[in-house]
Amino acid sequence: MSFLKRFARNRGALIGLTILVVVILFAIIAPQLYPQSPWRTVARPFLAPFVMDRFPLGTDTLGRDIASGLAHGARVSLTIGLVSTLVALLIGVPLGAIAGYAGGIVDDALMRFTEFFQTIPSFALAIVLVAILQPKLGSIVLAIGVVSWPPVARLVRGEVLSLKTREYVQAAITIGQPTARIIWSQVLPNTIAPIIVMGSLMIGSAILLESSLSFLGLGDPNLMSWGYMVGAGRTRLLDAWWISFFPGVAIFLTVLALNLAGEGLNDALNPRLARGRE
Amino acid sequence: MNLAQFLAGRLAKGIVVLFAIAVLNFFLIRAAPGDPAQVLAGEAGAADEQLLIQLRERFGLDQPLLTQLWVYLKGYLTFDLGFSYRQQQSVLSLILDRLPATLLLTGAAFIVSLGLGTLMGALAARRAGRWQDSVITTLALVFYATPLFWVALMSQIVFSLKLGLVPNVGYESIGANYTGLARALDIASHLVLPALTLGLFFTALYARMMRASMLEVAGADFVKTARAKGLAPGLVSRRHVARNAILPVVTLAGLQAGQLVGGAVLTETVFAWPGIGRLMFDALVQRDYSVLLGVFFMSSAMVVGFNILTDIVYRLADPRIEAVS
Amino acid sequence: MTGLRFGLALAASALALGVAQAQEPKKGGTVHVVVQPEPPMLMQGLNQNGPTNMVAGNIYESLLRYNEKLEPQPSLAKSWEISPDAKVYTFKLQEGVTWHDGKPFTADDVVFTLDKFLREVHPRWRPIVNAQVDKIEKVDDLTVKITLKQPFGPMIMTQEVASAPMIPKHIYDGTDYRANPANNTPIGTGPFKLKEWKKGSYIHLVKNENYWLKGRPNLDEIYWQIIPDAAARAVAYETGKVDVLTGGSVDVYDVARLSKLPNTCMTTKGWEMFAPHAWLTPNVRNGILGNKQFRQGLMYAIDREFGREVVWGGLGKLPTGPISSKTKFYSDDVPKYAFDPKKAKELIKASGYKGETIRLLNLPYGETWTRWTEAIKQNLEDVGVKVQVENTDVPGWTQKASNWDFDLNFNFLYQLGDPAMGVARSYITSNIAKGNPFANVGGYSNPEVDKLFADAAIAPTDKERQELYTKVQKVLADELPVLWLLEMDFPTIYRCNVKNLVTTGVGVDDGFRDAWKE
Repeated sequence: MSFLKRFARNRGALIGLTILVVVILFAIIAPQLYPQSPWRTVARPFLAPFVMDRFPLGTDTLGRDIASGLAHGARVSLTIGLVSTLVALLIGVPLGAIAGYAGGIVDDALMRFTEFFQTIPSFALAIVLVAILQPKLGSIVLAIGVVSWPPVARLVRGEVLSLKTREYVQAAITIGQPTARIIWSQVLPNTIAPIIVMGSLMIGSAILLESSLSFLGLGDPNLMSWGYMVGAGRTRLLDAWWISFFPGVAIFLTVLALNLAGEGLNDALNPRLARGRE
Repeated sequence: MNLAQFLAGRLAKGIVVLFAIAVLNFFLIRAAPGDPAQVLAGEAGAADEQLLIQLRERFGLDQPLLTQLWVYLKGYLTFDLGFSYRQQQSVLSLILDRLPATLLLTGAAFIVSLGLGTLMGALAARRAGRWQDSVITTLALVFYATPLFWVALMSQIVFSLKLGLVPNVGYESIGANYTGLARALDIASHLVLPALTLGLFFTALYARMMRASMLEVAGADFVKTARAKGLAPGLVSRRHVARNAILPVVTLAGLQAGQLVGGAVLTETVFAWPGIGRLMFDALVQRDYSVLLGVFFMSSAMVVGFNILTDIVYRLADPRIEAVS
Repeated sequence: MTGLRFGLALAASALALGVAQAQEPKKGGTVHVVVQPEPPMLMQGLNQNGPTNMVAGNIYESLLRYNEKLEPQPSLAKSWEISPDAKVYTFKLQEGVTWHDGKPFTADDVVFTLDKFLREVHPRWRPIVNAQVDKIEKVDDLTVKITLKQPFGPMIMTQEVASAPMIPKHIYDGTDYRANPANNTPIGTGPFKLKEWKKGSYIHLVKNENYWLKGRPNLDEIYWQIIPDAAARAVAYETGKVDVLTGGSVDVYDVARLSKLPNTCMTTKGWEMFAPHAWLTPNVRNGILGNKQFRQGLMYAIDREFGREVVWGGLGKLPTGPISSKTKFYSDDVPKYAFDPKKAKELIKASGYKGETIRLLNLPYGETWTRWTEAIKQNLEDVGVKVQVENTDVPGWTQKASNWDFDLNFNFLYQLGDPAMGVARSYITSNIAKGNPFANVGGYSNPEVDKLFADAAIAPTDKERQELYTKVQKVLADELPVLWLLEMDFPTIYRCNVKNLVTTGVGVDDGFRDAWKE
């Protein structure tokens, strides 16, 4: 059974993928859909949703259009999720690959280094990093990346360790290929699948982490992210629930979709784990 | 390698990691803008040069940086975590004051999530592909994907304000002076919301981990053999699959236990729970260096400790690991 | 004989209480109050943070209190006299006052406090005592004489409890004040004593049975609860966990909602002494911000009424200049700035603005401030000014403000009852100093303004002072060294059966001496 077929047979994965596509489309066409800045006051504050056609999701504390905020927020939140995951991969993949391939002292040292980052509670470390670098897009992305790479490194190391013993890698070593080239062309391509799966889950965590940072006042006030919107509306949960509810749902759906798709991917790549096989 | 040697090795490595962390933390925190004296003076709404000089001297900030590092490390070698001038209390006593509340909260969340999570995961795996699996998996995803603080605030509104079932904030009824069982019940009622909120997230992780791990093990040769022998599916599932699938769960439990201190910043903030997480966050936004370093050190030490513990459990549970290491 | 004197003291304080005294107070009871954030310490002589003052005002006392019109009232001083040349202040102390440890309170304590202790450690008293006071002497056990170098109008306003709390000489004299172990067990003369402080949870105060004012306090206990999240504080009030939400402890939107609850009262009184004045400080050293036309353009561009009405939920009042309308010597004879984007555009264009990005530093004091930053950013962008908001935490803000690392910075300062104390500091050249976020951080300097403020502080009569202050307000409102945004109100929300909660111009910070519970 081909990968695509297996993926398509997984209903959850398809739902996830569909939601994701919608969110991404939404993010892409946001500037066309809502050409005005989402920060602009457009109506009276606290306009309830479904009351005025122009503002289907209502307005927030300052009379800003929540639908517009959601659309623009999709861009920001997805960007934060993607870029910080990339940062984590950029740190984690090379470290894990080197540690796994080199073994011995190098492995030991790199794993101590990884452990080192896992020893401080990750959320606490993220808070401290953002506080140190000050809350800006760059520092938030960096902080999220820095606290989320160790699992990547461990995963890649494990994969590399097992791949190293395979015949074709051993063969490449025997014929004297340079190490970098072996890692690059023989080992890494075979670790791509689990990395993609992990990455898709990490994007979701990153979006959640950013919303938590926003809640503690460590968001970037120049960017309308979903997390920022939830945090800003949280004191009005009682009488203006929609301000934080809609962005909350947006975060929830996106993370859910990423997880469903990620798991579907995982099942499709590892038929061994496919469902319905007891 | 026997267990004692293994332990000694792990301990030595752990101490090296802790030392490096202590030094790194020191410089990390100094990189943040502002200092404790400036914060204290700023909060007072009035400050002058002389006040800042007086306060910096109290905080020991007038010393050269390396001297401060030396004083700090020397203190740690003698188990002295320093003194918070801001709070007029030793860091160790500040941490010990807060530790019971945090342990209670994270401990309760730990038990709830471990129990509920593994149960959900096991059930889902046994019914893999059927509707029960879908329900449980979706539920776990819902737990996982909802922002924690949002759940926290919503639960306060629903269960405290609207339904009046349990108190929304705090550790116990202040001024009620309950004793004995009444006090325990009072604390328990305060514990409900924060423990559940914090537990939900981990419940999701355990459920997913347990499910995946059970499915993985179910495909392994020894399980196939057991099944081929004609053992009843329920027995196979319980005796062979669940027991082996528990290993990754142990790893996760070790990880969660490591986060016992300082992993609950958000929950403690929203529920006004007087624990370590809040102590850490307050110390951060006040640049109370000694407290922040102390909390970081304590929580790192916990993580290192639990990592070693996890390794031991692993070796006891699965003898094959010894052969590998 | 003591009975008669006590009677006099009682009568005097009853006068201060005014109408509120009509009902006979009930004895006993416990009140739960919110304090946020947790105070660093309760030794008010060493620390004057907002939360510290709120709690410690029950433990410590000063010579005077101030009513809502900011007129001095007796506290530890039973009466006082000012010499005709306005240079000698003689304070007669109450009799029979003891410290919480039982030792008598005497003139020696007053002299020690004002001349030694606070001179060394108190950033607000230090400049006053060093610049204005010639000597502080004990006349007898119950009389203290302060002699000034020259007349100083605001002198009588300096004896508020956070500015000049009385400190026990027998505990602190000759010790290292900041390292004194007694800092953890504060000893004052106040109506309540510290019983227990459970860090992170609550501070427990109990009635001082030997309080000098007979029949006070009425309450037995006060619990100050520490609840970090604003939304959770509102729920805690609604579910009955706390009885009093002090000013600024809940989101402005919750104020309106909570005020409508049954048995709930709201007051904006009790802040007259502080009269918090909020503004944006332009850093006049930075390029275009040094241009008066540009600053005026910004002022026209900002919809201040929107900020008051929408961001601050209709609380407060638009200011006209540097002096709050609640403070003495206010004048509204100044140039005024209505919201006028068109005029703003013209002025900004005329100023030679070329699209430079202006960095706007957010004040990290909660969601309302962040909303205000967002609204003002939008106002400025609407007239073509490019704005980049900078976010930070409290230490970061303090650092950036103190070291002038901003283009536009939010701030709010207390007026402290007299322009010489709370207003001049933000505009005079001599107060341009790094290291203090509440100094003249924008860097505005004008010799004419300096002279007007200096003369006004020491002018012998109020009439002369008024003339000078009227003049300086006019000049400043034209030059706009800062952009005044709001005379802030910090409403106190409480259950209506808590009576006499706010009875002075210092409000809750003056303590629960007269409060009682029905």
